[in-house]
Amino acid sequence: MKMVQTNNPETDFKERLISAVKKEVKQLMEEAVTKKYVHEESTTVTQLCAAVEACLSQGLRRRALGLFKTSSTTALLHKIAKFCPDAEHISKMVQDIEAQDPSKRSSSSSESFNRPPMLKKGSSSSVTSVMSASCSSNTLASMKYLWIRLALYEKRLVKIIEYLVDNASSYYDRDSLVADSDYGCILSSLLVGPCALEFTKSKTADHYWTDPHADELVQRHRISSGRRSSSVSSRAPIINFKRSLNTSTDEANTGTFKSIASCTVAKDYVESLHQNSRATLLYGKNNVQVLPKDCSEPMLGYLSLHQHIQTLTIKWTPNQLMNGYQEAEDEEEDKDSYWAYALNINVDDIVYVHCHQNRGEDSGGTVILVSQDGVQRPPIIFPEGGHMQQFLSCLETGLLPHGQLDPPLWSQRGIGKIFPWPKSVRRRILPSVMESFDETPIDYVFRIVSKSKHEEFAAAHSILDFVRSAPRRAQLSSCSTTGSSDCSSKSLSIDQHPLESPLLQTQQNASIEMVCSTMRRQIISRAFYGWLAYCRHLSTVRTHLSGLVNGRITPEMKADEEGLTVEKWNVLNENGVAKNANEVFRLVYFGGVTPQLRKEVWPYLLGHYSFGSTLEERLKQDETCKHYYETTMSEWLAVDAIVQQREKEKTARAVAKLSSGSNSGQDKTVRAVEIEIGDLENEVFEDMSDLSDPGDLEFDDEQKTPAHTSSSHLTVKPIPRAMKTSTDSGHVDEIAEDSVFDDQVASDFQAPAATPKERQESASNSSSSYDTVGNGYQGLKSTPSAQLLTSEDMEPKSVLSPEYLSADDFQEHLHDDQEQVLASAGKGEERESTTSVIVTNASVDVVNWDPSPQKTTRPMSPLEEQTVPTSLDALQEPKSTCVSPASSNGGVYSSELLEQFGLNLHRIEKDVQRCDRNYPYFANENLDKLRNVISTYVWEHLDIGYMQGMCDLVAPLLVIFDDESLTYSCFCKLMERMIDNFPNGGAMDMHFANMRSLIQILDSEMYDLMDSNGDYTHFYFCYRWFLLDFKRELVYDDVFSTWEVIWAAKHVASAHFVLFLALALLETYRDIILSNSMDFTDVIKFFNEMAERHNAAAILQLARSLVLQLQMIIENK
Amino acid sequence: MAKTYDYLFKLLLIGDSGVGKTCILFRFSEDAFNTTFISTIGIDFKIRTIELDGKKIKLQIWDTAGQERFRTITTAYYRGAMGIMLVYDITQEKSFENIKNWIRNIEENASADVEKMLLGNKCELNEKRQVSRERGEQLAVEYGIKFMETSAKASINVEEAFLTLASDIKAKMEKRMEANNPPKGGHQLKQNDHRKAESWLSRCSLL
Repeated sequence: MKMVQTNNPETDFKERLISAVKKEVKQLMEEAVTKKYVHEESTTVTQLCAAVEACLSQGLRRRALGLFKTSSTTALLHKIAKFCPDAEHISKMVQDIEAQDPSKRSSSSSESFNRPPMLKKGSSSSVTSVMSASCSSNTLASMKYLWIRLALYEKRLVKIIEYLVDNASSYYDRDSLVADSDYGCILSSLLVGPCALEFTKSKTADHYWTDPHADELVQRHRISSGRRSSSVSSRAPIINFKRSLNTSTDEANTGTFKSIASCTVAKDYVESLHQNSRATLLYGKNNVQVLPKDCSEPMLGYLSLHQHIQTLTIKWTPNQLMNGYQEAEDEEEDKDSYWAYALNINVDDIVYVHCHQNRGEDSGGTVILVSQDGVQRPPIIFPEGGHMQQFLSCLETGLLPHGQLDPPLWSQRGIGKIFPWPKSVRRRILPSVMESFDETPIDYVFRIVSKSKHEEFAAAHSILDFVRSAPRRAQLSSCSTTGSSDCSSKSLSIDQHPLESPLLQTQQNASIEMVCSTMRRQIISRAFYGWLAYCRHLSTVRTHLSGLVNGRITPEMKADEEGLTVEKWNVLNENGVAKNANEVFRLVYFGGVTPQLRKEVWPYLLGHYSFGSTLEERLKQDETCKHYYETTMSEWLAVDAIVQQREKEKTARAVAKLSSGSNSGQDKTVRAVEIEIGDLENEVFEDMSDLSDPGDLEFDDEQKTPAHTSSSHLTVKPIPRAMKTSTDSGHVDEIAEDSVFDDQVASDFQAPAATPKERQESASNSSSSYDTVGNGYQGLKSTPSAQLLTSEDMEPKSVLSPEYLSADDFQEHLHDDQEQVLASAGKGEERESTTSVIVTNASVDVVNWDPSPQKTTRPMSPLEEQTVPTSLDALQEPKSTCVSPASSNGGVYSSELLEQFGLNLHRIEKDVQRCDRNYPYFANENLDKLRNVISTYVWEHLDIGYMQGMCDLVAPLLVIFDDESLTYSCFCKLMERMIDNFPNGGAMDMHFANMRSLIQILDSEMYDLMDSNGDYTHFYFCYRWFLLDFKRELVYDDVFSTWEVIWAAKHVASAHFVLFLALALLETYRDIILSNSMDFTDVIKFFNEMAERHNAAAILQLARSLVLQLQMIIENK
Repeated sequence: MAKTYDYLFKLLLIGDSGVGKTCILFRFSEDAFNTTFISTIGIDFKIRTIELDGKKIKLQIWDTAGQERFRTITTAYYRGAMGIMLVYDITQEKSFENIKNWIRNIEENASADVEKMLLGNKCELNEKRQVSRERGEQLAVEYGIKFMETSAKASINVEEAFLTLASDIKAKMEKRMEANNPPKGGHQLKQNDHRKAESWLSRCSLL
């Protein structure tokens, strides 16, 4: 390194500028080697640009640029563009970028750092698409040192600077750095290296201010893989399991390295001399002389010692090759010849190290390496200053723990033979040894003794015992079998004394034997390790994965087959009887179902219809299912009504509490009453559950019981409430005069037919299913009103609480109401024979069922059905609490049940309302169907309850079937498999574990990445995939085609096809994941952003081929 | 080696399903409102980088599934969280009542010194309000945390809430870093490879 010391302050300054550039260049080259690529926005790049900028601005003659140009070096660039083609190119680029972004006048020396644009206000949704297109230029424009940066990326910086140096007189002061004959050249030659680098735009750990969107990553990948033109772009996932047999991942790394950096061999080589991720640099020394074979003069070069995982390498490179990366043609040939001189010696091959040194003077020394075959390597002549000793000690360190120098450098074994170590180098040398000087040159021979890395291996296998007779490394078997760590060379050290050429003859004979035995040993150990790895690998495959695929490999489709088409189905479904299940599954698995057939075929695939069933059987099955569905639905609808009522009350209470604060007696009651009026009949249930709790009682039983017996459901409820309120506030009396209340009651009572409509409005979400409310309501009234007559006559006052109904008109209303009700009840019976029957007996309900789906009488009728039994039950068993939720005529619901189901309904409602609102099918009342199906399922599986995600699973089925009961039945079938994925199911963890094993077997490179990011093992990024069978990852049409393949796959290839789909998704983007070395969080974000953007057909195809590959692996055994 | 951000804060949004966690996040990260969000399944996160007192802070905000049943997956994220937004819906009494449970959840799973904040979302729906502002405030005081009423739809207080939480975390972290020198644990990024580079450079005199 040229370090001219001078007192001249100006030279000092230049020196500093240059060394800053040197430092940055080193940094950058280092980054290029260790990280395998340099990001364009890497800070090292910025720093290098800054250093270059500093050099270029020093002594720049501003006048040369014209008065108005403030931005110095950029102006300089534009100025020289006329004369220098490279500068012109860059100048144009700079102008283009500035033109694109006029707001930012890039000035390379401006101090304010404009940060890259951030996704923020006003740039919301459209940004993403624009972003990816203009991102690079945008960010560039806002960068510091724009032109230097661009010139660097474009590899033209050297040329430009060379031009500047050559023409420095026109632009620079005479004493400037650029004009200086030495520094100018140094500057340009320093930049040769960086200009040879490839810069990448892809993301590294934290190079981004805002993380790129998944779209951008995909696009970038597309661009970069095109440019690279290497095999990366369209490479199929690495499914070569054999590769994992190679114990080192080195190969893979090198491969990636090369493809990413696309370096030249020379650059590669020089870079390999640095410390990098694969090799530790143990020793490095420049200006070490070597006398190559056919050279008369020793050459200077760079000697280095590298420790790889398994080996130790000594490298020597002639200085001529080390001087940057000059690519001038004339030098090219010269260089080639130098390559022949470079040394690259594997220490494993070396047996002897001969050292020659003249005693008495500190004259460097010469090292000659002799390899196993007895051939001497060119002598390595060290410069003065104990470098040889240093080298030897580094070599010794490097040999540990598997080998050592014999005799050890630091032992006394070879008394009198130890070097006169400079004290600074090795203090452990015994003084006595140091003193034993004499006149003759000192020559030493060290033997490199190697304890094999394979000692356990050798120990375990007597088959290798024959190597015992082999000279070199023979110790390995003996010493390792004894388990001794002392790797003595005594037994075989045939030449412990200084060896010179006379002995070479005998040595060579031994060497040949050695070579043979080494080869034998290596072949056997390779074979053994290969076999061992293969066995382990296969055992992993067997234990973890054999259950994932079917053993039998189903033949692929013939070229002319296109899945289950209408024609195929017509053939298979002859006379309405589909018999050949296997053929159907096979066709679906490989080609899907033609869309219009889905409604017909899906029930088969899901196992709802059985193959071989006749049309009549299926119709009957449908009928049964429908009945069952509708019965179940009627059950929960009743509860739903109660729950809704409770909800409203609660809401009312909350609102009341909130709006009225302390003065609320009046308000509260009125609100409560208002709300109750709509759904009064339901209050009975609520009351029941309330009253069954003794703690709740605020009035005595005497009052309560008559209220119920009279079943005057219109009045009963308000009374307790009013009483409660009155105890709270004492303002109740005022309510009696409240006209609002009276009006409400009056209208309600006098026009019962109008009430249902009101209710419909209030119960907004399910208008269609509430069509029959009117009838039901009337029917309902007929019964209790009869009772009302009697009970009210007996004790009207106690029932109609004096608190707020002392006014007589209420009684009048009631009587009016009875008349009305009676009248309308008759009407109701005329219209719907069912209503009156239902009211009295719940079980009749089913018998009188109207199967026609067009008639909407059924959904609401259960309400009434429950009413009477409830009140009767209440009479007989006031304390009875719970009945099985599924029992159709129970009618009494425990508060826990109500609460539980209510909570579920609430959640269902929340999710249904949010479900796929963008999809046209769910833009209207179809959402109610969705809600019904889910609620029915939850009612039947109350122990499971509703879990988020169920909604997503029902929706596609409903879209296809557009029939609630069929959807319900098929959903039940679907859930048989899916339920385990939900929390507490345990299947999810299994999926994750399987994914892990699959990746390990099928893509070891990806597995390595995941392994290095420990978090990866959580695999939560595929949680949603498995939970919803990829429903959220794909658009609806793709969901259909994916689902049917999943269902069919169970019978054709794999019951765990989802795993292969997941793997296919992962593999589709593997290059992006790998090249950005995404960690777990990145992957989550990536896939969440990629949702509904995948190419489903390609992924399905890949998934099928992955299944096949695994089948092959397992079958091969 | 300059960093692209000075701190990385991991935040977590929790609360009952449907209270608007995803919308709040969307408002904050994209400054937009979307009525067509579907329930969050699994977990997702968004990034936004903010600047506080000249420090660039990268916020990684995790959005979780609201249903309690999915706790197993969401609690996995509690541990790494430095700040937690507890969200309820002012038009849903129940979601407010459940805040207690969520707090308990935090206590069980998150680190003890995690910053918390209470948000009453959907405050633009004042006519449907069930939970008064005062109750929210009171609860926040009870737990010693900050409180805001927000509206993702009307863009009220969302930005402010996150900035407040971030600056609280930052203050706490800087305090801690001052307390135990050298700075440790925090998420400030340091360049370790710098030193490594120097060490081998000293041995090699290549250039």
